[in-house]
Amino acid sequence: MTRGGFAGRVLSVDLTNRFIETAPLDLVMAEHFGGGLGLCIKLAYDRLDPTCDAFSDENTIVLGAGPLVGTSLPATSRVYGVTRFPGSSRIGWCGGGGMVFGCLLKNAGYDHIIIKGGSDVPVYLKILDDDIEILDAASLWGKGISETYEQLMDKIGRPAGVISIGQAGENQVSFSMAYIDRISTLGRGGFGAVMGSKNLKAIVVKGTKGIHVADARAYKALSGAILKKIRAYPYLKEWQDLGLLKSLPVVPPDVYHELKLRRIACVSCPIGDKDLIRIAGEGSEEVICSSSAVNLFMPLVYGFKDPLDAARCIAMLDDYGLDMFEFFGVMAFAGELQDRGIIPLEGKEDKIDITSLSSMKEWARKISLRNGLGRIFADGFRGMFSQFGPEAKKLAPSTIKGMLTYIGPRGPMPWNLFGTMELGQVLDPRGPHVGSSGSPTYFAKRELDVFPQHLRRMGIPEDAVGRILPGLGTPSQGLKIGRLLKYSHQWFTILGSLGICARAQINRFYDAGLCAKLYEAVTGIKTDLDALRLRSDRAWTLLCMANVRAGYTRKDDILPEKWFQDPAFKNYLTGRPLSPDDVERMMDDYYDEQGWDVKTGIPTQERLKELGL
Amino acid sequence: MAKFLIEAVPERCTGCLRCQLACSQRYTKAFNPSAARIKVVLKGAGCEVSFSAECTGCGICVENCFYDALLKRPGKVKS
Repeated sequence: MTRGGFAGRVLSVDLTNRFIETAPLDLVMAEHFGGGLGLCIKLAYDRLDPTCDAFSDENTIVLGAGPLVGTSLPATSRVYGVTRFPGSSRIGWCGGGGMVFGCLLKNAGYDHIIIKGGSDVPVYLKILDDDIEILDAASLWGKGISETYEQLMDKIGRPAGVISIGQAGENQVSFSMAYIDRISTLGRGGFGAVMGSKNLKAIVVKGTKGIHVADARAYKALSGAILKKIRAYPYLKEWQDLGLLKSLPVVPPDVYHELKLRRIACVSCPIGDKDLIRIAGEGSEEVICSSSAVNLFMPLVYGFKDPLDAARCIAMLDDYGLDMFEFFGVMAFAGELQDRGIIPLEGKEDKIDITSLSSMKEWARKISLRNGLGRIFADGFRGMFSQFGPEAKKLAPSTIKGMLTYIGPRGPMPWNLFGTMELGQVLDPRGPHVGSSGSPTYFAKRELDVFPQHLRRMGIPEDAVGRILPGLGTPSQGLKIGRLLKYSHQWFTILGSLGICARAQINRFYDAGLCAKLYEAVTGIKTDLDALRLRSDRAWTLLCMANVRAGYTRKDDILPEKWFQDPAFKNYLTGRPLSPDDVERMMDDYYDEQGWDVKTGIPTQERLKELGL
Repeated sequence: MAKFLIEAVPERCTGCLRCQLACSQRYTKAFNPSAARIKVVLKGAGCEVSFSAECTGCGICVENCFYDALLKRPGKVKS
């Protein structure tokens, strides 16, 4: 059987010395770490100086797409990155719906891009198959995400994949993101700022080489079965119509339909959730896009009254490249400090009102350009704690590793049951993020007897199912969130390493056993479920080790006090308020299940040996 | 041999490129959107769907569209 799936090369770019090098992908290493996310972690671990500052030239960005990306398998477009993040100071992953970027990167012949150093002037990286150049970005610098994208399309022609930053990234705002093809967000926690610190405005890619699969017959049979399953899914049309609004109805469907122009999907996705929206004003019309309809209307949750103003606000934040959750968290905190006189009101126009579009417009501009107090707010909660002192810190919302926990009883996503995504905000190395921590607890108050089928789909071994659900079917049945989270991280890393979207409404069409078969059919690398789990654990453990090497251990997994004050997080099963000790016990379980030292959170020598690290 | 007339409904298209992936795989044995005989270009609010002269009307693009943006109609493609 021939090798397939992988494009076969790694592109390295040294921005300081303007040096570009391509090298063959180390297929043994690719097999060892799966590819995609797993291989991003390995390539970053081998190159990242653990003592480096996020904004130093020593910080390295590794981007990549897994072996299934670029095939026609449903929802296999994911693009991942690993770097040191300024928001949390941790070495972490980030990932986004790859739009066309991942597919075209692979078609250009590259599985990964490694970017090190920093340019002394703004540049962008152009990749057209083997024609790779570091080009002057003077005409793009200072421009928002949309204009940058359009200018690059005009230069290079459609279709092309683009990862770019807005003004917030240029000015190293600690909660700036990069955007894939102007729509899909990449890197809550300052990925955009890391690109900005390197004076790297954008990466644009086109490719014509094609992606082969190793076993076309097996591929056809497996993909046909998935297709059949998707077409038979009774809620397919509803998901296609409403996207995430189906599960989070921030606005009624008719409000959304009034604005909706077109649904946009990442390559090969059956449930495209990106939106093109038309907002008609007095004598004007704006066409804007967003990473999801739910995001577009989130300002309503913060007190906006008009859905159109909410959409305008999000479009503006997206164009600067600002993370919505952190921006509104910082603004709400700053508003409270202003009300209490801790932050002086310099002028009437500086009054912070998180329910007002004009106020948020003004502050988004100041933060993105680091004007006035925006200079302090641009450094996020950490910058504000350091500037305004411990009294101010007491008024802050819940933070972990210096960033807002956006899911919680008082969070913008008001959720009070404590499942894996909630615990994952503490235990994901990158900081408070829920993307890696999905499980059946995603849905509230699910009956425990439906858990086993979902856990088996995630590839959880039978003995572990017993530990996660002790006494299932008896009056004393329980649910061990910490133990389950270990396998959420494993499942997430499997999906990410292959390139499959991790969203619940997509990964429902996959199971871990199927993933092993697909990996083998596409790459030609002999793979069973055990091998897939081992590679996933190896990669996630190495991500932990990258942070251990940088000095972070369990002592830094600090729980926010406000999680336990009324209204507190509640036990997923019983609904009783949780105590810090309850959550510490869940963390004990997590580390134990990982085979890491329970006291320190550091992987044991024995576990490292088992994983071949 | 042409089998169908293929009708595009651009307003339903999401730009997922599954049509191009399936087409290129059938005719070049590789997933390569640039080698497909159908082309989808999203620009601003618009969407253009076009077919190259080599399109045989085999309908594989239609079979792979999740969004009913491509439909098979009786008849043969013009060559």
